[in-house]
Amino acid sequence: MSGEQGDPRRVLVACLGNPDRGDDGIGAAVARALGGRLPDGAALVVRRGGLLGLLDDWAGCDAVVCVDAAAPGGAPGALRRIDVVAGTLPADMALTSGHAFGLAEAVALAHALGLAPAAIVVYAVEGAYFAEGAAMTAEVAAAVPEVARRVLAEVRRLQRSAAALSAEA
Amino acid sequence: MATKTIRVDYLARVEGEGALDLTIRDGRVASAQLRIFEPPRFFEAFLRGRAYAETPDIVARICGICPIAYQMSAVHAIEQAFGVEVGGQLRALRRLIYCGEWIESHALHVVMLHAPDFLGFPDAIQMARAHGDAVRNGLALKKAGNELMRLLGGREVHPVNVKPGGFHRLPTRAELTAAAESLRRAHDLAVDLVRWVAAFPFPDYQYDYEFVALRHPDEYPFNEGRIVSSRGIDIDIAAFDDEFEERHVAHSTALHAAVKRRGAYLVGPLARYALNFDRLPPSVRELARAAGLGPLCRNPFQSIVVRALEMVYACEEALRLIADYEPPDAAALPVEPRAGVGFGCTEAPRGICWHRYEFDAEGTIRTARIVPPTSQNQPSIEADLAAVAGTMLDKPDDVIRDRCEQTIRNYDPCISCSAHFLKLSVDRR
Repeated sequence: MSGEQGDPRRVLVACLGNPDRGDDGIGAAVARALGGRLPDGAALVVRRGGLLGLLDDWAGCDAVVCVDAAAPGGAPGALRRIDVVAGTLPADMALTSGHAFGLAEAVALAHALGLAPAAIVVYAVEGAYFAEGAAMTAEVAAAVPEVARRVLAEVRRLQRSAAALSAEA
Repeated sequence: MATKTIRVDYLARVEGEGALDLTIRDGRVASAQLRIFEPPRFFEAFLRGRAYAETPDIVARICGICPIAYQMSAVHAIEQAFGVEVGGQLRALRRLIYCGEWIESHALHVVMLHAPDFLGFPDAIQMARAHGDAVRNGLALKKAGNELMRLLGGREVHPVNVKPGGFHRLPTRAELTAAAESLRRAHDLAVDLVRWVAAFPFPDYQYDYEFVALRHPDEYPFNEGRIVSSRGIDIDIAAFDDEFEERHVAHSTALHAAVKRRGAYLVGPLARYALNFDRLPPSVRELARAAGLGPLCRNPFQSIVVRALEMVYACEEALRLIADYEPPDAAALPVEPRAGVGFGCTEAPRGICWHRYEFDAEGTIRTARIVPPTSQNQPSIEADLAAVAGTMLDKPDDVIRDRCEQTIRNYDPCISCSAHFLKLSVDRR
């Protein structure tokens, strides 16, 4: 990860999901689209599972932007931005995880342990099909460029706000 | 006739998907069924026709928590079939990567999945608010295990560096020296963890299990040994089918295993500990005694203490192996396929993981059989559930349900591996 401990611009982009399970591949696809485009001080991590490890990934970071798939709700490819301020994701936000420990649990555990970055923003893309071995649906694949663009803009915004906070301090 | 059903429709804090149906008739437990409905995954079927060299990478996908167990049992079976003996530092490195798997798997189960049961929390997140240091230490232990798996396996989930004959790449001394730093800290955390879990309130329950584990002449078992039991079984791993059989049951997509002559048996930490206490180093034996355990523990709820002790052992053993490390000349021995049958049996964190493969002359797999630990433990889980529930039938259903879930978690069941997880229903009439 780039940046030194305490650098106010440390932002992590965490792209989540299993690329071999249909629309759960949105995280990995956005990571590919972001390749080489993140500004200095921002780092990228791709996790297909084992989300407990996120607590290590974002250690020392000021902010995290997560990209994950959301459960089907009738509008595949629909993008939702969630600013996690209270330590929990909304109850109706069923992010997809094949195991019991998903992003919502990682965020809640980090807050309980005082290991959460100051800002966590989640970009959740609604999926439709999550079968093993399946490709992403056309609707979700079509959302990748726009998600990448929004994530880049979010990273720059978080870096500016972190820098401003640092200057105030 | 009074009948009552207590049902857990989806058991939490286990790997995979299953349910429990408890039927109570006239004040006694009529049946306790662990229903495993996770679909079969057909690994044995799609291994057929694949090249022997692909096996470690395929079987690693059976489990994200214990892939090393599947890789190790597979490579040992391949090497046995092709007449290759891996010794020296390559063998030591295999024990070392297994140490990493035990540490990360046990840390996850002990702290994140099982401890909340004893302290009255619904999950580790709620527990973390009251026991933050314990959870942080558990996560640090898990990280140390994962680091070892990443160093030797290339990555922590579904490692890619294991191959028949050895490894694709050897670690350097400097890499292992750096890992030792982290393991020394992990060792101290594991000792603290033993003391923490030993003070938990344990239900007063004992069961006379037939313990089954590997036993090696000198070592606490990981990769090698004879299959032994507390009731006299002492066989080469190739003779597994002489003593054990797998049975289909209607309520589970995982096969149930049994000792042919007697029935249910227990694999995993309690069995390993009971059958190999004398193979633990004096430091770990002393720690066990200080934690209130003798050389034999029949209370399955105290398996959490044994898992913590095994983490201490794995840290000590890893440090010993690293201190003795001399890089071997080659990362792997040459492997030449030939027609034949090979067996592998190693100690996964949850118990023995037995493999049998038949190869043709080119090393293509003709048949494969894999007997994972959780399917072996299913009959014992059901026996425990009937016995534990039987002592508390006057209690409200939700109290019975909680204790039954805790009982299942005593086994750290990996349903995904065996289905091969949990809903609980109690039928009380």
